[in-house]
Amino acid sequence: MDISRRSFLKVAGAGTVGLTLGQLGLDLRPVAAHAYAMKIDGAREVISICPFCSCCCNVLMHVKDGTVVNVEGDPDYPVSQGALCAKGAALLTMHVNDHRLTKPLYRAPGSAHWEEKDWDWTLARIARRLKDTRDRDFKTVNDKGQTVNRVESIFQLGTSQMDNEECAVSHQMLRGLGVVHIDHQARI
Amino acid sequence: MPKAFFIDTTRCTACRGCQVACKEWHNLPAVQTRQTGTHQNPPDLNPFNYKLVRFSEHLIDGVIRWYFFPDQCRHCFQPPCLFTAEDYVPGAIVQDEDTGAVLYTDLTRHLSAEEFEEVRHACPYDIPRRDSGTGLVSKCDMCIDRVKNDKLPMCVNTCAMGAMHFGEYDDIRALAEKRLEVVRGEFPNASLANPDDVAVVYLLADEPERLHQHAVAQAPAPMTRKQLLARLARPLNKASRA
Amino acid sequence: MTNHWTDIENANAILIMGSNAAEHHPISFKWVLKAKEKGAVVMHVDPKFSRTSARSDFHVPLRSGTDIAFLGGMVKYILDNDKFFHDYVVQYTNAACIVGEKFSFSNGLFAGFDKKTRRYDRSLWAFERDENGLPRRDTSLKHKRCVLNLMRAHYGRYTLDRVSSTTGVSRENLMRVYEAFAATGAPDKAGTMMYALGWTQHTVGVQNIRLAAIIQLLLGNIGVAGGGINALRGEPNVQGSTDHALLYHILPGYLPMVQAKWPTLADYNKANTPVSNDPQSANWWQNRPKYMASLLKSWFGDNATEQNEFCYGLLPRLDEHGDYSLMYLFDRMYKGQISGGFVFGTNPAQSAPNTHKTRRALSNLDWLVVGELHHTETSDFWRGPGMNPSDIGTEVFLLPSAQRGEKEGSITNSGRWLMWHYMAQQPIGESRSLGAMVVDIMNAVRKLYRQEPGAFPEQLLMHDWPQAFDPDRIAKRNNGWFTRDVEIGGVAYKKGQQIPGFGNLQTDGSTACSSWLQCGSYLDSGNLAKRRDLSQTPMQANIGLFPNFAWAWPMNRRVLYNRASVDANGRPWNPAKPVISWEDGKWVGDVPDGGWPPMASGKGKLPFIMAADGYGQLYGPGRLDGPLPEHYEPAETPLARNPFSGQLSNPCMKRMISDADPLAKPADKRYPIVLTTYCLTEHWCGGGETRNTPVLLEAEPQQYVEMSPELAKEKGIANGDVVVVESARGRVEAVAMVTVRMRPLPVEGRIIHEIGMPFCFGWTTPKCGDAVNRLTPAVGDPNTTIPEYKVSLVNIRKADKVTEL
Repeated sequence: MDISRRSFLKVAGAGTVGLTLGQLGLDLRPVAAHAYAMKIDGAREVISICPFCSCCCNVLMHVKDGTVVNVEGDPDYPVSQGALCAKGAALLTMHVNDHRLTKPLYRAPGSAHWEEKDWDWTLARIARRLKDTRDRDFKTVNDKGQTVNRVESIFQLGTSQMDNEECAVSHQMLRGLGVVHIDHQARI
Repeated sequence: MPKAFFIDTTRCTACRGCQVACKEWHNLPAVQTRQTGTHQNPPDLNPFNYKLVRFSEHLIDGVIRWYFFPDQCRHCFQPPCLFTAEDYVPGAIVQDEDTGAVLYTDLTRHLSAEEFEEVRHACPYDIPRRDSGTGLVSKCDMCIDRVKNDKLPMCVNTCAMGAMHFGEYDDIRALAEKRLEVVRGEFPNASLANPDDVAVVYLLADEPERLHQHAVAQAPAPMTRKQLLARLARPLNKASRA
Repeated sequence: MTNHWTDIENANAILIMGSNAAEHHPISFKWVLKAKEKGAVVMHVDPKFSRTSARSDFHVPLRSGTDIAFLGGMVKYILDNDKFFHDYVVQYTNAACIVGEKFSFSNGLFAGFDKKTRRYDRSLWAFERDENGLPRRDTSLKHKRCVLNLMRAHYGRYTLDRVSSTTGVSRENLMRVYEAFAATGAPDKAGTMMYALGWTQHTVGVQNIRLAAIIQLLLGNIGVAGGGINALRGEPNVQGSTDHALLYHILPGYLPMVQAKWPTLADYNKANTPVSNDPQSANWWQNRPKYMASLLKSWFGDNATEQNEFCYGLLPRLDEHGDYSLMYLFDRMYKGQISGGFVFGTNPAQSAPNTHKTRRALSNLDWLVVGELHHTETSDFWRGPGMNPSDIGTEVFLLPSAQRGEKEGSITNSGRWLMWHYMAQQPIGESRSLGAMVVDIMNAVRKLYRQEPGAFPEQLLMHDWPQAFDPDRIAKRNNGWFTRDVEIGGVAYKKGQQIPGFGNLQTDGSTACSSWLQCGSYLDSGNLAKRRDLSQTPMQANIGLFPNFAWAWPMNRRVLYNRASVDANGRPWNPAKPVISWEDGKWVGDVPDGGWPPMASGKGKLPFIMAADGYGQLYGPGRLDGPLPEHYEPAETPLARNPFSGQLSNPCMKRMISDADPLAKPADKRYPIVLTTYCLTEHWCGGGETRNTPVLLEAEPQQYVEMSPELAKEKGIANGDVVVVESARGRVEAVAMVTVRMRPLPVEGRIIHEIGMPFCFGWTTPKCGDAVNRLTPAVGDPNTTIPEYKVSLVNIRKADKVTEL
């Protein structure tokens, strides 16, 4: 069937095209009464990059009063030319989101709940566990008597969510501790 | 001339960037959904989803066809919803002169549930939705705030595949006609959906009903049709008197 | 990617296989559609008809784990029908090289297999070499042991009938793909292959990709616009995190990790620096000692001297054949051999295979540090399903992480573009960037080691370690700087100056550089990753090259091996789409892969500069499981025998052995259905981040299983029913999505059903379902130990009660 014949306006007997809206006889309301202020008016624009697939769509984050109020694709990025998929389009609520963690949490052995801790306590406690484990399990030589200078009982997993600079210090730290169990998403 | 959209379903990959971007721009809350055996979610338009990518799949002569239809308000040139609502709450629904955008105002909350049903029924595309809590009726607003500030509507801005375009109606119409010619080889049943009547012109990849029940305008049900005709007649009479 | 995203537009044929590009790399499809609009044929070969298939010219369903059979058939088609690019293959690949007489292949095994160690003696696969050590070649391609003829013999067995019966793909569909893709063997045509985890997550993962690369070399598709072998890398910085080696087996810049058998730096360099006497071979890895010395210098600063081998002796060392990857880690953790560790931005309790074992393994830890945005199945494992917190003695630290827009730094996209992003808002609450966590934790440990005795303290304390995390400073160090005033090639450089490029790196400690690949990215003039300039020459614009936007490694080269895109005189094979061209005594276009003049000048170098012999490796003696890819069945297979040989599965595959690692028997009647697993557009990997984003959870709220109407009918399942999927390792509840997009496959005379499930749903999000990886086996590729997520055997039934959804 010819789609145009199914036009609802023709069904209604009033099809017209090419006329201005006024000529169509509409009672045009003064829509200008609406204030067309955008939520990004006066916002600072910051370039960031979507943290999902390796298309790495560049995005513009609109920031007002120190908070991201909108995220949209960066039209200058040659790959995406301003586009985003569902995940990239959700960056605003991914950032401003009450599911996120905001404080270091600690779960004591055997405990059924988390408790909030401050960073100083947390870092000191992690360092203590790390050092004690390393000191206890450090291997100078392997079964063949070859020097190995490593600790096998400590590991790190992750992450490709790290920036290059974060990866660089992360790898350096692990080799500095003698860690060999190192892996991340590149292998899965 | 009014502004218009061109939505090319032959290019859509249902990445749902538009669906989500629309929510994010309008700060719409997420709705609770369930998996019911389809990727289409939410299952339908609702007061918090102005844009919904509809999924429909078919096995036709041994060939799988999976169609995606980013559904939204068509911003009719002569919006039946507006005419219907006008009887009950004048100014509840308005049309912007510059852009042709059909806009639902705060006054829609004064429409009763029954009146709203009539408004919804008047829509040839089954678009309007009412928030039973606030009574507000809502749908796509063409991102009128963005458009008034020379920005693309968020869905168009976000679309990666070149499936969505926005501009002056004449340009958009020409683009749609041109694209229709291009895709006829790959999509022999392709057509434009009611291009004469609406500001959101869809290029349908196949027979309309294979994409969505309301891909093209449905003739309204007899009762409502009568009402619609009555209401359509009034402003036209007014125009002729002028 | 050898090429990059916008280059896809240049292709004449696009084979998407082992990937669901439109769903998992959605924006890539923009460029696929642009190519399609210009006439390219787009083919999707995948077990499932997906959103990618919907926009491709056609979809070809195949049985999971049979890609080598499929592609082997394509090699046979190319060779039988003389579709290969003759000049390219003879000049630029090792097709003409003669393989030694010790090589053999019989009944699924190559020469040199040791049944006890399940390893090959790869020396038996070596080329015949002349007195200078150069491979002997027969450019007439007549020698029966030249690579091309060995390939004819090997892939001659990949007949249409056998391939069809193995893969479940009809002969017509096979020919449709073979003909369309092989047509790009013409010099003026290009075909690209887009792959992702659908190729890597197999016990033959590396060989899947090897075979793809072989086809691309045969067709002359490497180095050209619209060509390449294009890994669609995962997370935004999985390229960068691999370059920077968050992996046990390498150091930054793909330098091998130190092994116990190389006690000195001299030993390391000797073992890892290939030698070529061919003046035509650039043999790029001959530079490795420069990169290693510069890396050590960047880590140990003034403490690193030539006398102390730049502190080489402080690095930990691996055992030969030691495997410290994810699956072995969890196997050892399960067996009580691991005490504590860090999990940053990943969720192994959800995304590691055989999740029941993984989750139990975590409870054996003394301590666990998790850096995350949200609670995950890993951070909260102790309160997960079936766990009794009071029985679990693990001390857990959950550190709040900053989101992407709350930090600045660089990431590397799949096309190797290094790009800088900026901080939009301060980290919320007390959250911190992962970089700050790492630096702060290390400083806390170093403080303890300064205060009290401990094991080998020099290993930590000799590092040049920052007081606070400063991404700009680390970016500068990744590029590298001169550590003293030096003169190189007549140019004087001052101490502290940024190094202009890796050609300047030295073995004497005068250069410090943490990642030679990134050398050239951050100059005295500034950080090139911040560039936003879209200007191009007309030649660059013609192929969508943006040389002034951001910066690509290496040395801003956008298409790798681009000298293979020209003939011996430097003229492009395809004059309509040149990548580079030799004009008036210089290269124009992209940054050439080495600046030497064209081969015909006599001063040129072969284009495959990373291979010691300079040739593209059709035959690759380097892989552990064979020099030519061969079809083996997955570790869990619905077949009782391999249609290609007597060797059922990859003889070298990695397999975890424990009471928690049962495998289904071949053709196991209890588990007759093939399960494949995947991501989806709206969620990311294990789903931790996206399930906590309500607008995304709204679009994909719960675990589902996609199955054909035929299977659903057989099992009495209706669309929307909750079903139970069971493997030898676990059971998972899911909503049935009965869809014509899954087709039953005719394989070896019967119908095999395949079902598919995403792995993003986990119990910390209420009622969305729980880990699909409870079903998958801990088996992996011998080269990479990447798990075989893509194939496991399962059964399915309607659920009698629902607990997870």
